[in-house]
Amino acid sequence: MASLGTFLLLSSFVVCAYAAVSSVVGARRGSRRLIESGIGALYLVAALMAVATAVIINAFLTDDFSIRYVAAESETLQPLFYKITSYWGGLNGSIMFWVFLLSVFGSVAVWVNKERHRELIPYVVATISTVEMFFLYLMVVHKNPFTTFLTPAPADGTGLNPLLQNYWMAIHPPSLYTGFVGMTIPFAFGLAALITGNLDDSWLRAVRRWTMVAWLFLSFGLMLGMIWAYEVLAWGGYWGWDPVENAAVLPWFTATAFLHSVMVQERRSMLRVWNVTLVILTFFLTIFGTFLTRSGVVQSVHAFGDDPQLARLFTGFMVVILTFSFGLVIYRLPLLRARNSELDSWVSREAAFLANNWILLFCAFFVAFATMFPTLSEAVTGTRMTVGPPFFNKWMLPIGLVLLFLTGLGPLLAWRKSTVTNLIEQFAWPVGGMVVTLGALAALGFTQWAALTCFGLCAFVMTTIGQEFWRGAMVRRKNTGSDVFTALVGLVARNKRRYGGYIVHVGIVLIFVGFAGNAYKRDVTQLLQPGQQMTVGAYTVRNDQVKVIEDGQKQSVVAYISVFKGGKQIDTMYPAKASFRKHQNEPPRTDAAIRRTLPEDLYLVLASFDLGTQAISLNVVVNPLVNWVWLGFGLLAFGTGIALLPETTFSFALAKVGSPEAATTTVAVIVALMLFGAPRSAYAQHVELPGSISTPTNQLEKTMRDEIGCTCGSCAHEALSKCICGQAAQMREDLRAEIDSGKNHDQIISSLIVKYGGEHFLSQPLDRGFNRLAWLFPYLLGGVGVIGVSVVAMRWSKHGHDSETTDNAPQDAAMNERLDDELRNLD
Amino acid sequence: MNSETSTERSEQGLQAWQFFVLAGLLCATVATFMARGQSVASIVLATVLMAATTIVGIAVLRTVRPLVFGDEDRTLMVGQRTRVALEREKALVLRSIKELEFDKAMGKLSESDFQEMSGRLRARATRLMRQLDAGGGYRAQVEQDLAKRIGEAPAPQAASFCSTCGTARDVDAKFCKNCGAKL
Repeated sequence: MASLGTFLLLSSFVVCAYAAVSSVVGARRGSRRLIESGIGALYLVAALMAVATAVIINAFLTDDFSIRYVAAESETLQPLFYKITSYWGGLNGSIMFWVFLLSVFGSVAVWVNKERHRELIPYVVATISTVEMFFLYLMVVHKNPFTTFLTPAPADGTGLNPLLQNYWMAIHPPSLYTGFVGMTIPFAFGLAALITGNLDDSWLRAVRRWTMVAWLFLSFGLMLGMIWAYEVLAWGGYWGWDPVENAAVLPWFTATAFLHSVMVQERRSMLRVWNVTLVILTFFLTIFGTFLTRSGVVQSVHAFGDDPQLARLFTGFMVVILTFSFGLVIYRLPLLRARNSELDSWVSREAAFLANNWILLFCAFFVAFATMFPTLSEAVTGTRMTVGPPFFNKWMLPIGLVLLFLTGLGPLLAWRKSTVTNLIEQFAWPVGGMVVTLGALAALGFTQWAALTCFGLCAFVMTTIGQEFWRGAMVRRKNTGSDVFTALVGLVARNKRRYGGYIVHVGIVLIFVGFAGNAYKRDVTQLLQPGQQMTVGAYTVRNDQVKVIEDGQKQSVVAYISVFKGGKQIDTMYPAKASFRKHQNEPPRTDAAIRRTLPEDLYLVLASFDLGTQAISLNVVVNPLVNWVWLGFGLLAFGTGIALLPETTFSFALAKVGSPEAATTTVAVIVALMLFGAPRSAYAQHVELPGSISTPTNQLEKTMRDEIGCTCGSCAHEALSKCICGQAAQMREDLRAEIDSGKNHDQIISSLIVKYGGEHFLSQPLDRGFNRLAWLFPYLLGGVGVIGVSVVAMRWSKHGHDSETTDNAPQDAAMNERLDDELRNLD
Repeated sequence: MNSETSTERSEQGLQAWQFFVLAGLLCATVATFMARGQSVASIVLATVLMAATTIVGIAVLRTVRPLVFGDEDRTLMVGQRTRVALEREKALVLRSIKELEFDKAMGKLSESDFQEMSGRLRARATRLMRQLDAGGGYRAQVEQDLAKRIGEAPAPQAASFCSTCGTARDVDAKFCKNCGAKL
């Protein structure tokens, strides 16, 4: 079986090469035969990869441990479901899975667009095949999942990493990969348009839908990752700016920017160069993200370890992508220049889109920079340091809020220019909504400025969207003479893209509400003797007993916790720690128990236990509004789905809606994550079991615990005030010792740097030397962006209306009448 | 299979790709029979494996076939582009005009901006409609196929436009469908 697999990979590689060459030659010589054959070869790759996939899954199901990859990722006792998902549980298999998805996605895209974009297809086929070739090459020469043992095969495998044995983790990678892989399609069409010089809007139309699909999967993948982190990593949050998370969110930013700026090109024929650039950049970032996580360049919770050769291969590929595609852009620059680009006013929707794009790009570059900074710093100064969540949050919180504001602002502005009356008419309700909400919240005693701003902006955006729906329905009612409800349904059906987009925006607002809830999070860790209880917020929890439960694969220690609210028992929860037999030397997996309700989650983590006395150290987190984040993602998917419905759907199903304008908001979702204020932690008096947190003795210790991150490597570099692992406890001891010896803040930092041999334990880089760059960079980036956008806008403003006349040929009346007829029939 | 190959040769009875489907079904049946008594998962997997192999066979055929037969290209072309592409573009332009009118009604566009933008779009729609009119329609294609099937030489395509107004005429038309002039 193993040699069959290798053979399939090799033949896929050869067929890919054939597809690329025959399509390019066919296109150059105008030979339909060669082009058709190239398309066939592309389908063939998908078929071959499907067989290879079946072969490797078969190896997992039959426990064929003579294959190294199977032995490393599976074991006999593993449940069937996780045996299948082990396929993409490791590095080699995930590359293969990637190629499989890409070949399927690419085949479908080519099949659908074969006739519509005939002139582009040969180069699309060539581009997709080339990308596939790269990954196949990686596998064949370096990371072959079908490699066998030279020595006799082991009797049993080591099993999938326990952290990955979770149903969210089973579907998270396929979704994320589909998103990543999907971004190859727009890139392939963009390149084909550049190569053939067919740079009118038609390639964009082919691509828009595919970008939306990929974007949807990407967002969905991000959400699944967040849920997984929330349930499995057991630190009470869902986003820690880990490099792997960042890698996934980078292309998401640029894809979102593209989905917005594409509308400007469709409507106003502006931003052509920009759109091509965004498509290329998005694809590049998907490869860059893979590079980050697979080559060990950055340290991360779930990076796959050091691999310099893989890093070199990826670097080479990335250089080729950048050189080739941007070379083409420069070569085609004369053709790309827009015919009527003029920005008539700074108060227009175009300007709002420009701002949106600039901010999204800022996010992408900032996150990329901050993720790479530790590596850069190590290369320049020789010491590795850390850029932790506080640094990200410092920037992403305000940026997220600005984006949220733009989400509400954009739909209100007119194209070309907004007049003053126009502005008053459009803004009255939304601003009113915001003021009322802010007033109400302030009256209720909410004071956190960030959360308050966020809630206010959410109200602003919601009123805007409500107003759009209402006014649209009114217009439609007037035109069609139907009742309001019918008009509303018809409205969405008729403008699926726009109103689907608004629905996505509503989803984003919900997500922001969830983020803002983070500011009111409560987090208490306390030692509970059997029968003893503690109270957090409205909840009282009691330690009933601790039990050990075994199955063949693992041994779990489960605490039985009774939960009371308002004096009545509402639930029994079972937080646990599970040790996997095959992973004895790793820390046990912490299984948090979560009680989900719409207003707040009760989140219990078994921090540590003593089986003899039945005492446990329990970490109780009350997370307000978390479920709104997931709900928001659901709505986001629904809105995108509506936008994706084919044109003809309306005629049959008037009740469906859809549109892609909404993407802006989503950005903010991720941005806001942990931004909102430091969680208020309360530390109860207790004995320090390993894994629980002692109370800080003074203010200095409290501040410094927030500044120092745990270096154990298995948590998301959490602050010492939060992390419950043994390493963190040791580090807290160190800190206490330093404080007791009477040193001040700076002295302690420098003595700890000596002690730990580097600055990596700090959650933000120190503002000195080379590291000052980390602090300067965002300002630089922002400044350059503002200047760039201004220059472009200025140049457009000067253009004037000189080029409008080309198309206004005299029209004959008969034609006009036919046109009007067809337009009427559209409704 | 794509539509061209499947419609075109349907009169020849068994087609090459159907052979692969039959072979695949046969193999899947044999595999299921041999795997009886094993878990459901492995039987499903064996079937999937056979299905994938079938697809490989068909895809190989799809790759080699154009090289060997060089099937005549039956796609309708209008100038340099396929008719499908032009029709789609026209639909999109019409949709854009609609959207623009809606924006106008929502107060998102001033009157003069609307005039200018909609004028541009209408001109584009008109141009596309003219192109589509001028290019050979589906009817001409059908006539041509029919002629070939009956064994006649394809009808002469020369005088296919109305001499008065320039609209494309159908092969059997006696009067112009646009201006009514006798042909």
